Amino acid sequence: MKIAIFPPNSLILADLVERRGHEALVLQKEIRKRVTDVEIDSPPLNITEEEPIKGLKYAAIEVPSGVRGRMAIFGPLIEAAEAAIIMEDAPFGFGCIGCARTNELSMFCLRKRGIPLLELHYPTTKEETMEVVNKINTFLDGLNKEGKSNG
Amino acid sequence: MSLEESSKVTRMIILGPAANISQPELIRKLHMMELPLTIKSTCYGAVVNGEESVVNKAVEEARNLDYCNVFTKDRGFPPGDPRRCRAKRGGAREGFHQLEKEFELLGFVSEALEHPKKVSLKKPTKVSVDTFKKIAKECEK
Repeated sequence: MKIAIFPPNSLILADLVERRGHEALVLQKEIRKRVTDVEIDSPPLNITEEEPIKGLKYAAIEVPSGVRGRMAIFGPLIEAAEAAIIMEDAPFGFGCIGCARTNELSMFCLRKRGIPLLELHYPTTKEETMEVVNKINTFLDGLNKEGKSNG
Repeated sequence: MSLEESSKVTRMIILGPAANISQPELIRKLHMMELPLTIKSTCYGAVVNGEESVVNKAVEEARNLDYCNVFTKDRGFPPGDPRRCRAKRGGAREGFHQLEKEFELLGFVSEALEHPKKVSLKKPTKVSVDTFKKIAKECEK
């Protein structure tokens, strides 16, 4: 199954999802398309004037172009998702999630899709990390069973 | 950027803090696989770049070296890309601080994968005065 993760560039989430045989919809795959495209080879590299226009599908025109530009990248991932894992309160160092409004909009879009969703908080201690890993594994195993019973 | 290069994928292989193999050992094993890959040695492990099927094969084999302590994730930019490479730009690479933060938890994640067990997040509560009095009285007897 295609699983959207939030933060979309999280190593832990992407790795755990792939360990259970699912496909993690990570931001880097979208970025790769933009930075290795033969047509784009000069700064600012990953966002062109087309992106804020594409972002209009997710956010109104009054919304800052930065949010729309980011949504043009996150949007296709959210649309392709068959299930999602959201981890809130990630540290500031998580580069691409530096825009709080985009984060809110992305999480809102994921919740609105009505797909199986697991919501967690970023762990800080050993116990919390173990709990998070257990919850993710149980969630992903549940998806496997669901997929088999439907298929 | 050539068309050939644009079809390639890049993955980061990150060793957890409790890994049984060292970073040079990982690089050596990756070279020994003799796959058509670009391998970059890094402080956290390695970055591999090549055709998707080949990269996936290398990642799978690297994971099998120490299943619970080898982590991988996709990377958008190819290794040594002047737009991201620290050697050309100076300062920390974008994404480094994130990796640093997540690395702090990798040890716990490895442990959870290796020895999964139920944990309670409830903090122990204080004993009520009545209960404490009861215990004290019992001890006095």
